Amino acid sequence: MTETVRRVLIVGRDAQAWLIALALQRAFGASGLIVEVVELPSLVAASDVLAALPSLQSFHKIIDLDEGAVVTAARAVPMAGQRFSDWGVAPFIQAYDSAAAPGAALQFAQLWVKAHQKGMPVPFEEFSFGAMAARLSRVPSESDDPAGLGATFGYNLEASAYALLLKAFAVRRGVNLLAGTLSDIKVEDGRIAAVTLSSGQQVAADLFIDASGSEGTLIRQLPGDGFESWSDLLPCDRLLSASTSRLENLPAFSEIRANKAGWTGLYPLQDRTAILAVFKSDFASPQDVLASLSSVTPGPIQGDPVLSELKPGVRNAPWIGNCVSVGDAAAVLDPLDALHLHMAHVCVSNLINFWPVSPAMGSEAKEYNRNVRLHAANLRDFESAHYKLNKREGEPFWDAARDRAVSPGLEQKLLMFRKRGLNVLFDEETFDEHSWTSMFLGHGLMPESYDPRVDLLAEQDHIETIQARLRQIGALVPTLPTVDSFVSATSIPVKAPATAS
Amino acid sequence: MNDPVEVVILGGGTAGWMAAAALSALLPPSRCTIRLVESDEIGIVGVGEATLPHMKNFNDLVGIDEAEMMRRTKATFKLGIEFRDWGFKGSSYVHPFGIHGRAETSLGFHQKWVRALHAGHEFDLEALSFAIAASRANRFDFPSSGVSNIASTYSYAYHFDASLYAAFLREFVERRGVRRIEGKVQSVARHQTSGAVESLTLESGAVIAGDFFIDCSGFRSLLLGDALDVAWDDWSKWLPCDRAWAVPSANVGEITPYTRSTALEAGWQWRIPLQHRTGNGYVFSTGFTSEEQAREALLNNLEGDALAEPRLLRFKAGRRVRSWEKNVLALGLSSGFLEPLESTSIYLVQIALMQLLPLFPDRNMDPALAGEFNRRMDLEYERIRDFLILHYHLTSRDDSELWRYCKAMEVPESLTAKMQLFRHRGHIERYRDGLFTPPSWLSVFVGQGMVPEHHHPSLNNVPLDRLVEELEALQEEIGDRVQEMPKHDAVIARYSAEAPTGAGDSFGFGMIS
Repeated sequence: MTETVRRVLIVGRDAQAWLIALALQRAFGASGLIVEVVELPSLVAASDVLAALPSLQSFHKIIDLDEGAVVTAARAVPMAGQRFSDWGVAPFIQAYDSAAAPGAALQFAQLWVKAHQKGMPVPFEEFSFGAMAARLSRVPSESDDPAGLGATFGYNLEASAYALLLKAFAVRRGVNLLAGTLSDIKVEDGRIAAVTLSSGQQVAADLFIDASGSEGTLIRQLPGDGFESWSDLLPCDRLLSASTSRLENLPAFSEIRANKAGWTGLYPLQDRTAILAVFKSDFASPQDVLASLSSVTPGPIQGDPVLSELKPGVRNAPWIGNCVSVGDAAAVLDPLDALHLHMAHVCVSNLINFWPVSPAMGSEAKEYNRNVRLHAANLRDFESAHYKLNKREGEPFWDAARDRAVSPGLEQKLLMFRKRGLNVLFDEETFDEHSWTSMFLGHGLMPESYDPRVDLLAEQDHIETIQARLRQIGALVPTLPTVDSFVSATSIPVKAPATAS
Repeated sequence: MNDPVEVVILGGGTAGWMAAAALSALLPPSRCTIRLVESDEIGIVGVGEATLPHMKNFNDLVGIDEAEMMRRTKATFKLGIEFRDWGFKGSSYVHPFGIHGRAETSLGFHQKWVRALHAGHEFDLEALSFAIAASRANRFDFPSSGVSNIASTYSYAYHFDASLYAAFLREFVERRGVRRIEGKVQSVARHQTSGAVESLTLESGAVIAGDFFIDCSGFRSLLLGDALDVAWDDWSKWLPCDRAWAVPSANVGEITPYTRSTALEAGWQWRIPLQHRTGNGYVFSTGFTSEEQAREALLNNLEGDALAEPRLLRFKAGRRVRSWEKNVLALGLSSGFLEPLESTSIYLVQIALMQLLPLFPDRNMDPALAGEFNRRMDLEYERIRDFLILHYHLTSRDDSELWRYCKAMEVPESLTAKMQLFRHRGHIERYRDGLFTPPSWLSVFVGQGMVPEHHHPSLNNVPLDRLVEELEALQEEIGDRVQEMPKHDAVIARYSAEAPTGAGDSFGFGMIS
């Protein structure tokens, strides 16, 4: 049988271009798909970090990329959660615990709400296996979790090194890196007909992938392209990337510290700490932000900080004709919840799911666009909830964020959580009940009431269930590897060069 | 803590007694007191003699013993529904309570089948589903545990006498202290400003006041429809059947572990096997045949002798736009009606109750709770509606006016998109909320004659001969394992061995209370 897509050309840069190349090679290489890449100049600064959700681990499994190679090459540090501080409430850790299985009648949070109403002082966070592991700089994993408490971890990665690792791996896997740079794009009948390289070589393909980042190098050439801005829901518009010294004992969380015009993230890496300051330019100048960094960083700023624009939003049609945009080219989110790579993964899995089977590609594009946009909107809502729920009162940026309307979907999520501690989840959601709950409770959104079925549990059993969970977590966490030991155990030992010092 | 909510359930059909059972078993007594008002003069028709596997969960949750329930309600087991003559005359397929293949995969097992088909290897999709193969062989056994076991790939439901089930539930619930009040409602009193229902006045003069009213009054929808006047959303342009004749007949031959639905000239006929008789009915549209002709058609189509005079039921497809308004929540027929083509009536009662539990109100009746409940039920109703419409619309029958109408009718966009994607590439959407999962959609699509034009390209990574070998081995394994299963008849006889007699036989229609 003849394949509809025999040749795919990826025009893109950095990690997103190579991860899509690897995924496509893996999915369709065996049936003869030719995957080619035209590389655009990198936009990654030396200081850039990629913060990634636990879904990164599954992606690496799918493309068969060894975790040891990642940890070694990208100086990766496992990340059990993100710690939010200075958001107007006590600091809290949002970890990656899994919610109770569907069908289980009650989420643990329901028991917690009742206990809290009765005066139990222990915060919800202390019932989160992931958060407690993160507090003690330890890495939770399924293999170390006989009690089934359920937590996992993502990674902080050196952005440039990770991209290089993926690139080398992709080329080894048979992805074809074309020589030369992009010089022209030929559009015919609403489709990309070919691209021309600096060498003069014209490259045609059955399908073009735009992994160029938010500029949308390919897709913006096509009629029907448009962008839906989310700046009303995700208010920050500037991004400052910088670097500072390594933290002494590597923590298992990133620190997300709010300030008067946005927030600053500290992301531990093996040999340095990456800094990302995200803010709204109406409320602070880059100089202000830079000056304020010294108060939150463990050491002096190293190298030159890099400023860029942040324009959250989604393309009206991420897939037009024979051109599919992925990652930032499809949707840009706030860096707040470590979603950058995840959004690319969502695009990849939808593209593979709806890989064209006939030249028209219309119904594939329609489904891809619907799913990717829905998914992105749900992620956006998760991020916008942080802004909405902030309790930094008396600061114009934050007061405006609290007063701003949210999407109807998030409105309903907030309402039901406030009323009953219930999680409303829609199709195409990344985050489960536990993630929403820990975020809401962390920001101080306290349910007025709880699922009435909680009262079926006798008081003694209720107390016992709660104490048992604390005990299980308390016993298990100290047995987990520390971040430092995880890193050294996972890294691939490099043969010591014959030192001639 | 608030005072308990005084719940008044109006109506003692299947919906009413299920509500009483669920609230009394699954809510703490501190939250509510429950009374149920019903009249012996108003007959129970009984929602759904044919159920879905969720029924077992309901029974387990509220603490009903399966074997006892089966004895008391003369129940049989059900592994799926056979559809005859739907896609085209002479066709037959089973919608199973199980999957095709060994495990559900994200792309769907059926992609393998499509790939083989495109390469000229025509496997019978039904022979690749354990539940279907067992149904076809009239065999039954309880599902095995262990995901790698092919006999773990299904679940089961029941056919039962719904009137007996309601009576059984009543006894069960009354033992738990739920008070039943005999009487017919004469008038409904509402609060002057809020419009909420305050009390029911019975013909006896008794006044039943309450905080929260659960309307299980059937089609009359006395509280949600009559008293609160919640608008009706009419779906009859897509689901034109508006009548049913129902009649029991004597059992003939082996008891099938499945319901049968046969498409007829102006609707369809159900056949529901119970231990002691077979329930039959003809659901039809008066737009396309007369009541008299339909009655005739039903009687001519019975396998065994009729055991009573056929009884006529009238209905309309659609639903109240909100199931919960102010302090009234309608369950079952008082909230909407979908024909029992996929045995969804009892399921809709059950899912409404399960959605109600976490949202169960305090005495202040926060409207936000009703809003969320209605949002969840909208999804349930609309997704089931689309699935039902598919049965009528996806047909090549043109032998009668009804089928020509249904084939040509415009269907909801949500359904058009689903059909288009399956036809084009065998893709089946997966949704978070809503009853029917990909194996259900698959069986109807393929059973009614739709074969994907393309398979998923990743299937081409596997060498064809290996794929064919895998399907052959699966088919053989399923065939062998099914032969080892006991006959359905034998399992029922064993399971109901100590059947006490004396429970009055009742005439069950199968769907309506």
